[in-house]
Amino acid sequence: MAHLRVSDVTLSFGGLKALSHVDMAIEPGLITSIIGPNGAGKTSMLNCISGFYHPTKGKILYKDKDLTHASPHQVSTMGIARAFQNLELFSGLSVLDNLLLARHQNLTYSFFQAAIFYGKASRIEAENRAAVEDVIDFMELEPVRKHMVGSLSYGFQKKVEVARALTMDPEILLLDEPMAGMNIQEKEDIVRFVMDIQKERNITVVLVEHDLGVVMDISDRIYVLDFGQVIGSGTPEEVANNPKVIEAYIGED
Amino acid sequence: MSQNRWLATGNFFTSYKQEQRTFFTHLDRTIFTCFLVILFGWPLVFEISNKYMLVLDNILIAIVAVMGLNLLLGFAGLISIGHAAFVGIGAYTVASVCQVIGENHVIVTHFWPVLIVVAGIMGAIFGAFVGLPALRLKHLYLAIATLSFQMIFEWFIQFMSFFNQGQTIYVGRAHWFTGQVGRNDHYLFWYYIILTIVVVLGFGVRNLLKTKYGRCLVAVRDNDRAADAMGMNPGLTKVYAFALAGFFAGVAGALHAYLYRGVGFDSFTLHHSVAYLAMAIVGGLGTLNGIFWGPVAIKYLDLQVEQFSELAGHYLTYAPNVATALKPLSFGLVIVLFLMYEPRGIANWWRIAKSYTKLWPFRY
Repeated sequence: MAHLRVSDVTLSFGGLKALSHVDMAIEPGLITSIIGPNGAGKTSMLNCISGFYHPTKGKILYKDKDLTHASPHQVSTMGIARAFQNLELFSGLSVLDNLLLARHQNLTYSFFQAAIFYGKASRIEAENRAAVEDVIDFMELEPVRKHMVGSLSYGFQKKVEVARALTMDPEILLLDEPMAGMNIQEKEDIVRFVMDIQKERNITVVLVEHDLGVVMDISDRIYVLDFGQVIGSGTPEEVANNPKVIEAYIGED
Repeated sequence: MSQNRWLATGNFFTSYKQEQRTFFTHLDRTIFTCFLVILFGWPLVFEISNKYMLVLDNILIAIVAVMGLNLLLGFAGLISIGHAAFVGIGAYTVASVCQVIGENHVIVTHFWPVLIVVAGIMGAIFGAFVGLPALRLKHLYLAIATLSFQMIFEWFIQFMSFFNQGQTIYVGRAHWFTGQVGRNDHYLFWYYIILTIVVVLGFGVRNLLKTKYGRCLVAVRDNDRAADAMGMNPGLTKVYAFALAGFFAGVAGALHAYLYRGVGFDSFTLHHSVAYLAMAIVGGLGTLNGIFWGPVAIKYLDLQVEQFSELAGHYLTYAPNVATALKPLSFGLVIVLFLMYEPRGIANWWRIAKSYTKLWPFRY
């Protein structure tokens, strides 16, 4: 039984079809990767799922709930969190505040309770702070907890980006190229985190990534996109032997 | 937390609640309390003329208004060139009540705290309404949209006979438990009232900034796409920011109406909107203490320049225009200089001064 089902999704911008008739099924508890050459529509696919784009045709269902026309904040309240490709952090805030912002929906006090900040607001803030610290601990962000995000190195910012999505306690985590622009060591770190996220926290991971080595190593399922169409899917072995995929990546001989 | 709570040295937190405190050490708290005691206590010791008391009252009212503007512009990153119009909404709320039921009606004179809150709510409603373009517009375009509100407000007031076409609408004298506040105590009375309101609202803002209602503003300023993905509705947050700013402005307007015992349209012009902007910028956008520095600095400058231009007018009798031009000139110059050399405002000086004195008397 698929967790998240993308059926027959077409996304067009004017005459350009970013996605055409894409079908995907994201199984719970697995790492599903979406790969493909530049401009294949990987990020468009994530944008459709997370509500930034709305498919022109087709449907996206998550546990029988229709996500097709949901806005990003509605999607995120349903338990689908997303990390962005080009760092979309709140650079004027500390790491801690960035992560606390991701707890937005869990902070249930009212405006007046917040203004008085006594009792309920204070208690809930402290509880959520504990949840945030848990993620900080998990992602090894302790040394930079109170630093301004804008002043951190690229590698740390990428980690904060993933941590922020994780702080939302999602059931599905959408990671958009978490390893782009990193060196081998940093990549290994992130890979370790992604695997831990799946194993220790039982979160379904959808990974968009360019590094084929990483993708083949850690994915349970792979979807290959090219020019907005799914040209192959299955386990890493199946995909690696798929002639269409080989053609898209290496070209005809 | 360790035994000695007087100094920050050697202290560490053992619970998240301790970290939420506004004052981390007893020393901080004591200094702040002393400061408040001085603010409330000095009029009992010293006596100053009503002219200077009025200046102080004006500073405090400007602080209330700038509180809203700083939340809007500094924290939420939304430009508003119509802030004086929101202040005007508050003032004209009181004025409308006076027009309908009479300026000396018991509601106006005895239930003024209620009217001040109502004025704040009216400001918030108008703020939310004017904030609607923020759903679509950003930066300069939003500035123009708020500017148009300012223009509409001025036009509306000037042409409505209900509002006396912008001429003064009188507001009755307020009553306190001891009876009507007399002519001589008027400014002192309002000094205490406004100071209390500033302190209460200041703590309110401080608390809000520690919670999601403050953080969401900054989130929308820094990155509204990400804010959306984090589960907050950026459009709603922007409207909320405008409503919040409108509330503070409305309260400031009502206080202005009571302080001057009258409402005229020329206290809420575009010029005043720009002055509020200047106060917010000079104070320091996006900082809490900047809210207090800005109005103090700008009003003090006004006072000094006024005295200086009197002096200049005395010597430069052949060029009386020099004296009158000095005020806007110095005002503009200060804004330009701040934007060029200290865009983070006086609050940044405060921060630097604090970090210098932190280790005193040790060098490192």
